[in-house]
Amino acid sequence: MNRRDVLRAVGGTSLVGLAGCAGLFETRSARAPPLPENRPDAVYYPTHYEGMKMPGMKEQGGYRCALTYSYAHRFWLMKPNGITKVEIQPEDSIHLMPVVWETQTGIIPPDINPQLTITQSRDSIDQFAPWPMLSQPMGFHFGDNAQLQSDGTYTVEVSIGGPSTRRTGSLAENQGNASFTFEFEFSESTLNEISYTDIPDDREGTKGAVDLMDMEMLPNSQVPTPNALPGDVRGSGMSGDAKFVVTILEDASRFGGDEEQRYLAVSPRTPYNRTMLPMMSLSGTLHRDGTSVFDGILQATIDPELRYHYGTTVADVQTGDELTITVDSPPQTARHEGYETAFVDMPDVKVTL
Amino acid sequence: MTDERGVPRREFLKSAVAIGGAAAFSACLGREEVDVPTGPDDLSSYPQRQHAWNEVLPRDDHGNVIAPSHRLLLYLNYRRDGQPNEDDRDQVETALRGIEHAYERSGIGLLLTVSYSPAYFDRFDESLSEGVDLPDPEALAPFEDPEFDTPDAVVHLASNTAQVVLGAEEALKGNKSTLNGVDQPDVALTDVFSLTDRRTGFIGDGLPAKNAGDAESVPADKVPDDAPLFMGFKSGFKKNQASEDRVTIQSGPFADGTTQHISKLQLNLNQWYNQDDRWQREAKMFCPYHAENDVIEGAGDNLGNSSKIDDCKPTDETAREMGVVGHSQKSARARDDEDSPLILRRDFDSTDGGTASLHFLALQRRITDFVDTREAMNGTDVTEQSAVGQRNNNGILQYIRSERRGNFLVPPRSLRALPPAQPARDAQEVTHESS
Repeated sequence: MNRRDVLRAVGGTSLVGLAGCAGLFETRSARAPPLPENRPDAVYYPTHYEGMKMPGMKEQGGYRCALTYSYAHRFWLMKPNGITKVEIQPEDSIHLMPVVWETQTGIIPPDINPQLTITQSRDSIDQFAPWPMLSQPMGFHFGDNAQLQSDGTYTVEVSIGGPSTRRTGSLAENQGNASFTFEFEFSESTLNEISYTDIPDDREGTKGAVDLMDMEMLPNSQVPTPNALPGDVRGSGMSGDAKFVVTILEDASRFGGDEEQRYLAVSPRTPYNRTMLPMMSLSGTLHRDGTSVFDGILQATIDPELRYHYGTTVADVQTGDELTITVDSPPQTARHEGYETAFVDMPDVKVTL
Repeated sequence: MTDERGVPRREFLKSAVAIGGAAAFSACLGREEVDVPTGPDDLSSYPQRQHAWNEVLPRDDHGNVIAPSHRLLLYLNYRRDGQPNEDDRDQVETALRGIEHAYERSGIGLLLTVSYSPAYFDRFDESLSEGVDLPDPEALAPFEDPEFDTPDAVVHLASNTAQVVLGAEEALKGNKSTLNGVDQPDVALTDVFSLTDRRTGFIGDGLPAKNAGDAESVPADKVPDDAPLFMGFKSGFKKNQASEDRVTIQSGPFADGTTQHISKLQLNLNQWYNQDDRWQREAKMFCPYHAENDVIEGAGDNLGNSSKIDDCKPTDETAREMGVVGHSQKSARARDDEDSPLILRRDFDSTDGGTASLHFLALQRRITDFVDTREAMNGTDVTEQSAVGQRNNNGILQYIRSERRGNFLVPPRSLRALPPAQPARDAQEVTHESS
């Protein structure tokens, strides 16, 4: 039986008798207050939001990595027909988030799933692959609750492998592995310096989102505004509270087509914060005068200019063409509070180009 | 029953193999109430295929072979530089025959293989016989960065009786003058080889739950009491395993041999048990269809002799429409023209180093067959075209990390003692009259 099991066995529903490790528990209920009632099927203001700390940043092999952490969080994992709530476990001490980005573009690649190894004086403490996640203040990130046993110095190794999502332009060149090692001084008192902001009762659970954190030195996971997207932006639509912006690029050669073809790109984003929405299965049909001229998948792609998007090459796009975007699977990222009810039930999006 | 330190008898038996040594062996003898028959004086009837274990192992009600529960892998380096000599070959064979005389070849007795790495065969001027596909180990996914095992040889000891595995190990190290009442030869395997690593483990109903306390990060109250593996589900279904024939090299001097891949996979059971729910575990281990339709009861004994993957939709379709694909569903795509799986799993769980891991030992005719199977399991094709991530919702890739990989040739029995790279054609007729 390890520490986790001891805590679980002793803990149960009662916190009595745990004075020796009470620090973790006293803050737990406060940091996971009851969820708002009548949460909308949309992005909503959570009960609270938290800041984060960054113990260090490293660079290797065309990538930078910042190790960041906050309080342990509750979150939700996706299922095809619902979500699974992950409660904070008694032994969870922090929410650990390794933020890895491509140095040149500042893009955080959602397909490169970091692996964490936490050791202390060479003893193994924990190892896991954090989940891809969406949070309002952090945007898209990889994170999971981790179990650090006490104050002290921990070594955290973040290793990344090659990509698995199509890359275009300069991003296609970097296929390598990298590894970043951090010495992390953890103390509960430092953890407790992280800001915790309560959202007033009359606001929590209503439609809206807290702003992205102002993360000095760190890139964000936003996609461009419609005006800043390359190509000819031809429209947009909403589904499951996500916004889908459609743009057409003249030359598809960068995307596996040829110069004569067009590239049809769909750029989904969260409302309010414009955070990318990766890990969806999207497909599309293009109709012209009632006839289908394209019917196929929109492939997830990371491009230096379009950033994370979904797209396909098409022979031609004409004014008045009807594009139907079908969400075959909504974003399979885990969700923090305020995002778990949005981007789940996602009907077709129809855009007249 | 408890011993003087208050350790329940059964508790002791499973950790004894992990501890090893003479003390663990002696302690086992007093605790395991079993009489293991000795092996025959004449071993000439033993099969050429070292890996021919299935015929002597028990089967469950569905005809699935029940894997031997206690395991030991001895990683060995040949003490001599350059090519082996006949004296060393004789010593190795004599030492191996010593333990075979001591324990019968069965599930309750001893099953063993001896295998050799590409690094071992590098000591010969000639390259390895044509028809043997044994490349150096390599990373088998874009997202893994394993260390490579390059010992000269690996001995795999397996038994349903813990004392047999421990006793065989002690005898091979020259620490036993008699074993199971049978005199042991004066020579030890460790006279010829140095021991570089020792990996241990277990597989079988209830063993993971009982061993959970030996490893950090195993939620002891979550691993089901009857599960044969840490992740809670049965594996090795008859129809999802290649036959011994399918994995056997068919021609050339190493005919009746096979190739062996051994990887060490570290498991993350916290996410698996404390964050995912049962639906997700079923969907990710088997396929979403099984989770949706409550196909699996408990560890999956009710599935019979297959993981019923035919009921799952095609992997790419599931990935697109459900956003999650199962491990068995992906892996089952690696099949030959006759619809047979390519690999024969003989893997087992471990608490080596105090962490929960899986020693994934697989036999296949060619290492390429393993590479193809692992490629199917990576699902890289699926991730490019769907919501399924590199690890996220991609079978069990989220929960395993490949730490080490090694490739080995399991030669036919007649060549198991320091084989040459290009054995003479009549090598298989060589007998060891001394036994």
